[in-house]
Amino acid sequence: MMKQYFEDLISGIEAKIADDPGSASPRKRYTLEVAKLGKRLYDGEHTVAWCGVTAPFDLLSAMGVTSCFVEFVGAMLAATGLEGAFMEEAEGAGFTRDTCGYHRSVLGAARKGLMPVPDFLVATTSPCSGGVAVMENLARHFEKDLFVLNIPQAETDQGIQYLADQIRDLVAFVSHHTGRSINEDRLVRSIENTNQMRDYLVEVYRHAAHVPSPVDSRTLSNFGIVMALLLGTESGVEVAHFFASHLAEKAAAGVSGVSREKIRLMWIQNRIQFKNPLLKMIEDSYGAAVIADELNCITWGPIDPDDPFPGMARRSISIPFNDQVARRISLLQEMARSYRVDGAINPCHWGCRQGTGARGMVTDGLKAIGVPVMNLEVDCVDSRNFSEGQLRTRLEAFMEMLEGRPSPW
Amino acid sequence: MDRNSTPTIGFTCAYTPLPLINAAGCSPYRVLPVGEAPDQAGQLLHDNLCPHVKRVLDRARAGDLPDLAGMVFVNSCDAMRRLSDAWQRVRPDDAVCFLDLPSTSDDNAVRFFAGEISRLATSLRDRFGSQDGPMAIRRSVLRYNRLVEKVERVASRMKKGELAGGRARLQEIYNQAATRSVEEMLPVLDHILEKPKASGREDDGTPVYLFGNVLPDPQAFSLFESCGTKIVDDDFCTGSRQFSTLELSDDEDIWTGLAANILKRPPCARTFIPQNPGKIAEEILERAEQCEAKGIIGHTMKFCDPYLARMPIIREAMKRAGFPLLLLEGDCTLRSIEQQRTRIEAFVEMLR
Repeated sequence: MMKQYFEDLISGIEAKIADDPGSASPRKRYTLEVAKLGKRLYDGEHTVAWCGVTAPFDLLSAMGVTSCFVEFVGAMLAATGLEGAFMEEAEGAGFTRDTCGYHRSVLGAARKGLMPVPDFLVATTSPCSGGVAVMENLARHFEKDLFVLNIPQAETDQGIQYLADQIRDLVAFVSHHTGRSINEDRLVRSIENTNQMRDYLVEVYRHAAHVPSPVDSRTLSNFGIVMALLLGTESGVEVAHFFASHLAEKAAAGVSGVSREKIRLMWIQNRIQFKNPLLKMIEDSYGAAVIADELNCITWGPIDPDDPFPGMARRSISIPFNDQVARRISLLQEMARSYRVDGAINPCHWGCRQGTGARGMVTDGLKAIGVPVMNLEVDCVDSRNFSEGQLRTRLEAFMEMLEGRPSPW
Repeated sequence: MDRNSTPTIGFTCAYTPLPLINAAGCSPYRVLPVGEAPDQAGQLLHDNLCPHVKRVLDRARAGDLPDLAGMVFVNSCDAMRRLSDAWQRVRPDDAVCFLDLPSTSDDNAVRFFAGEISRLATSLRDRFGSQDGPMAIRRSVLRYNRLVEKVERVASRMKKGELAGGRARLQEIYNQAATRSVEEMLPVLDHILEKPKASGREDDGTPVYLFGNVLPDPQAFSLFESCGTKIVDDDFCTGSRQFSTLELSDDEDIWTGLAANILKRPPCARTFIPQNPGKIAEEILERAEQCEAKGIIGHTMKFCDPYLARMPIIREAMKRAGFPLLLLEGDCTLRSIEQQRTRIEAFVEMLR
């Protein structure tokens, strides 16, 4: 089913671009590459690894492994409106509705045979403890070997060394399972691609922060976290480059992503993955756009191609969800300032102890710099719990409040 | 050592290296999720965080604590990390040390955790200026090993029905041992062990094995027993899991030795062996069989991801083994167990 879905998506987008090359928007190119990754995961022709969110995807790519974090499947199922049956399967097996919806849908999908059997699994202890537990469940379910990357919380020399050592061990683990040793030239090329993509992403985010912003609420939705799956690849570089050029042109021309941009918003943590009319509603009714996403940020420096593991370690450790919440708040404040946002929306994804746990502290931290936060109560993956009317009313009230107050900047 | 004259360091996790705190001239105090502090944690933390963490924070907000000089938090889960953050907001004057605990116990993990333990030692020394060199730590480890040996003897009496007050009394002793200094506690345990043994266990309940994470209220165990169970063994992080012997060899680096011992102690759901995913289920089954339980009751905190995610594995394993299993979720109150009384009674009825 999923293989067919990705094949249809690829052929549909390619046909459209062939018919009208001018329609090849950056988002379309991005979707095309993600769909190609999806197809590789499901076509049974590639070495596949299911991973945690902070796995070194460029390393795995360089070693000929098609890899993906499992939450991607949860998001895909929600986006296609299919998550309900898989949630029910997981709940029937004993995964309570208090657990993360991403993880429940993935476990349900695995139990119903919708996840391809991987060659091995790579768990990461960051961003969340629920994610590690899910990988343990999947390893048991698939009866495949599991490698665990313990991601230290703080970016210290000791922590970087620890993770770099583990990544070296991961290379041996992957070689053992694929029968292929690492090709140093290929790894260097992969890291060069990663660095190039990183530079373009920095540009993308800089352009998105322009006033008015050239992006609307959808342009960079899920962008940063999913682009990590294309790290090390030429297609990742192309997509990032395309976005950067496109946004640069729009920003230079003063073209706004939404007509008559009035309210600039930042989205905290993950987007709501299933179809819903809320962001369209605030765009149309209030000229409000989500122009910044917490996870659309680059917190790591270029990686040394000749000694890549410490750089990869720094990248995994530096994500906003790691370390003390004070660091996360500081990153959010910095983002709010550079994007000049008027307000922030935190969906408070139900079941997420990690991202949502610090709700009160995040709210206080942004309030301290004059940025109000609207905390919602929503499971970003499980549409069965979605209270559209209630959320619409709250968002409307928030927009009206923002309309009536001066910009914090 | 007298609590009045020694700095008290709070902690919340069974993986905390207590001998290190003791060797620094401080007294470790486990902040248990007990008491009647008003429920206010939701102002800083989301409501879907585990009640253990929220209740500990409520205690901090309400000042329902001894005079603490600092806190040691362990990276046991997402919720505990958020507690560490919120604690610093509520009690900004406390010295706080956050220990990053790997979820596996391989050589790399031991090496890293050894560094973390060394960092804690340095932090304690800088703050309290006490002598905490390797010799002092080794002496402290010996003191704790004596404590563990005595606690195990008391637990053994309970299992044989020779401890007056049964499992509830044992929990009182666990709680005392977790909140008082080792020097205070050793004579208390001697006194308990010197008392005549209670007459053997009356065969008046259905033998069950109890497991979970946080269950510090002694009355909770009385409540289980009042439902017709006889708790023949159990495994909680507020129970026996807090007390493990540390075996250090003389020629071993002290930090590496401590790290290896702590990482390889009986695990909770947050620590696991990648080569054997779901081993937690085998361990539960093995212990239940060893103590000749007729059934197993799992009692975990609501919203505890490490346990919630592993319950299906446990459930499937018990089903395969034909071992009756009852899973309960609690919120650190007796009320929540009382509400499940009917389920517990029905389970016991089914086991008879």
